[in-house]
Amino acid sequence: MKDNNPISPHIQVYNWHISSLVSISHRITGVINYLLLILVCFWVISLIFGSESYQYFKKFSESMVGKFFIIGFIWSYLFQILSEIRHWFWDMGYGFELRTTKITGVIVILGSFILTIALYLLSGVLI
Amino acid sequence: MLQATKKWLFQKISSVIMVPFMIWFLMNIVTIFNGSYDEVVNFFTSQPSKILFSIFIVSMFFYSALSISEIFEDYIKQENAKKYANLGVFLSSLIIPLFTIITIIYL
Repeated sequence: MKDNNPISPHIQVYNWHISSLVSISHRITGVINYLLLILVCFWVISLIFGSESYQYFKKFSESMVGKFFIIGFIWSYLFQILSEIRHWFWDMGYGFELRTTKITGVIVILGSFILTIALYLLSGVLI
Repeated sequence: MLQATKKWLFQKISSVIMVPFMIWFLMNIVTIFNGSYDEVVNFFTSQPSKILFSIFIVSMFFYSALSISEIFEDYIKQENAKKYANLGVFLSSLIIPLFTIITIIYL
């Protein structure tokens, strides 16, 4: 009986819509953010090795790769935050109309990019 | 209450706790990411960031473990593979935040 349990169909079966794009991105960013959180924890734990070892991380954080990493980090977290807030509204029974799901989906996608740029610039990392 | 309902409820409660801490952490990570060793240590070891960061990682690991187990439920058919994948996520969600919090306490 257990072997006959249905699993979710693969994503390529469906036509792409804003809502499906946000839905799968929510799951993907959820897993990525989990892995990023593990990296953050390893970063914190690595502080016990002292300031000399920290210079390796400092070189990375100041490099172009480091800048891309932190921008990606911010975007991935912001996407999950906005998408999670969208889920809260659904849980309260709001926003199920087709037009509303499209609008909120666009808000999640565009909002995550706009807020990433705003947060990055406001924090003065570019300076 | 059904097991699935309990899981959903825990997921929702942890997400409501997690999101404000995620926003707080995001606003700080951008600055401390480029900070010196002393600035970073000072951030993680002084209050209120010490307690806020601890709550953030505990709530996010808890939420992530529940969410990822849901993904395993949807996409892994083999029961044994699902069991071990869930065990791996559960153990890492317990051990990693524990070691991190111990580190910032004794740093």
